[in-house]
Amino acid sequence: MTEITVTLTKEQRITLFRNLVRADKFGKMMYSRMMQGKLIGFYHPAEGAIAPGVAAGSFLTNDDILFPHHRGHGITHMLSKGIDIEPYIAEHAGKSTGCCEGRAAWHYAYPDNNVFGTTAYIGHNFVPCTGFGWAAKRNNRGQIVMNCFGDGAMGTGRSHEGLLLSSNWQLPIVHFCENNGFAIFAEVEEMHPTAHLSTIAEGLNIPTTIVEDGQDVFAVAEAVMPAIERARSGGGPTFIEAKCLRFKEHDIGNRDLRGWKPREQDEYDAMLKRDPVLVATERARAESLFTDGEIEKIHEDAEQEVARAVKFADDSPVESPTEAELMATLYAPRDGVSF
Amino acid sequence: MRELAYVNAIREAIQQEMRRDETVFVVGQDVRGGVYPHTLDLIEEFGEERIVDTPISESAMHGTAFGSALQGYRPIVDFMFASTAMTVFTETAIMTGQQYFLHGSKRPVPLVMTGAWGIGKRTANDHAMPIHGYYSRAPGLRVVIPSTPYDAKGIFTAAIRDNNPVMIPWCTGIMMLKGDVPEESYELPLDKASVKRAGSDVTVLANSEQLQFALKVADKLSDEISMEVIDPISFSPIDMETILSSLEKTNRIVIVDEDWESGGFAATVSARIVEQAFDLLDAPIQRVCFPNMPIPGGYMEDYLRPNPEKIESAVRYVCA
Repeated sequence: MTEITVTLTKEQRITLFRNLVRADKFGKMMYSRMMQGKLIGFYHPAEGAIAPGVAAGSFLTNDDILFPHHRGHGITHMLSKGIDIEPYIAEHAGKSTGCCEGRAAWHYAYPDNNVFGTTAYIGHNFVPCTGFGWAAKRNNRGQIVMNCFGDGAMGTGRSHEGLLLSSNWQLPIVHFCENNGFAIFAEVEEMHPTAHLSTIAEGLNIPTTIVEDGQDVFAVAEAVMPAIERARSGGGPTFIEAKCLRFKEHDIGNRDLRGWKPREQDEYDAMLKRDPVLVATERARAESLFTDGEIEKIHEDAEQEVARAVKFADDSPVESPTEAELMATLYAPRDGVSF
Repeated sequence: MRELAYVNAIREAIQQEMRRDETVFVVGQDVRGGVYPHTLDLIEEFGEERIVDTPISESAMHGTAFGSALQGYRPIVDFMFASTAMTVFTETAIMTGQQYFLHGSKRPVPLVMTGAWGIGKRTANDHAMPIHGYYSRAPGLRVVIPSTPYDAKGIFTAAIRDNNPVMIPWCTGIMMLKGDVPEESYELPLDKASVKRAGSDVTVLANSEQLQFALKVADKLSDEISMEVIDPISFSPIDMETILSSLEKTNRIVIVDEDWESGGFAATVSARIVEQAFDLLDAPIQRVCFPNMPIPGGYMEDYLRPNPEKIESAVRYVCA
């Protein structure tokens, strides 16, 4: 295997930084809206663990296929891929302007942007991603698949099967494991016998990369970009394991345990020093990437974007079609559908 | 007209659709070698890119079909034995069924799932199990079973061209049944029942090998009782219109299905008749189904499963 190494350009670093700030602000807005009762369903906050999703999404084309991680309900990945986020916020509020007509809550899809996700069935992502990879290879136009999941998914049989077929068929898939150390409460160290989950992929002859500091968006991107390049150029799948930190409970309203005991205050205090926005800001300052004024502007722009999305969702009506109207859309017609 | 065996009628439908549309492909286990004849030698014509073997990885095998269907391909995923699809029920029923509707009815999922089942081959529950009852409870799927060679070709052709996920569990009991099949391509409706024999005294619904049994009983009793035999074909959605218009004429009904008695097609049709057409009934509805126990292998199948004697007895009961 030839190692591909990359050095991020200044423009790429700016893109990553901007998307990181946007993801952080959208995630915090979702958390607070859930607490206010303005989101429907559950919310599984990504706070603290957003650098991997930003790195996974920021350098995909519209034609590339993305299955986001369910944490943060994929907002991080999707806004980084460049899709219109407003219909998603509306969807999560059950509004008619939602990306799925208000039917999906957070189990949404944006087919026109080749984004499919998310689901309650952990590890399910490996299933459609096998077919996305199969199609992408046969389409032969340089399309790739970004398959995102957490450490919990690596306990499923689906993950083994998806990795196996991607290796057998050399599919253009980046398997992207955002290992935050927890599946709800269960610690990865207790649930898996190996130090790195990527050893499972190694056993299936898939090239692997471990990012020890998944709090650093630039470090994650340096691992993701060669994997995207390998997939795009016909080099087959890569498995990336980014070790990251989950700042909050699994889902809002749940307890935040390690195993079956509350996480210690020391752990939270230490984690907050590794906030991904803080880490990226320190690096950006050290490398003179931005002036303080430019950083402030990025934050302001993101806040305005969030405010626009919230307004869009709040101003949109609740969808209330009749049972008969819904039933009429159960099956796809023969004509007039698009792929 | 030319005769074909049921399983070869399926093969001809797949072959003709693969020639017509290059997005059609088959994925399964040992479909290249053709464990069942409906994919036999297709590898010679279409190559490994379109006749695709996987390891024994049902979720990723189904995923190859599901994901590529969302990208505009028209896969046929072959589970060999129908009950094998049940190992990935979440994927085949829930996720595949809900995909289109739950996501705003925008991107369709044009895929065909198939596999063989059939009681009476002494293969026991795992190989014999009918699955249409389970799958017909998954909204968003079409569940169809053709029961003659002619219907097999027309239904498979229509299912491949349809823009929805279609589950077609086919019955090994009629695998070698021969019948007239046109050489040219044709489609049959996926959501319509088919009257196989007109009659006036009693309506009998039967599919697969049981359809053959019902037609034999109809022949045998023709001097005494005029049986209208209907093949439901579609188990989801159910064509109640055809069933109720027959019942208007006969006022009596026997529902034959090798599926378990509890909670399946026969139970649903019975409930709908009671709700929608109670006044049409001159006799209690009779169901002839498999008793609610795992299908034992060996010779017990012969007296546990529906058979011509049980069908005749039910027909005589409602007509008495």
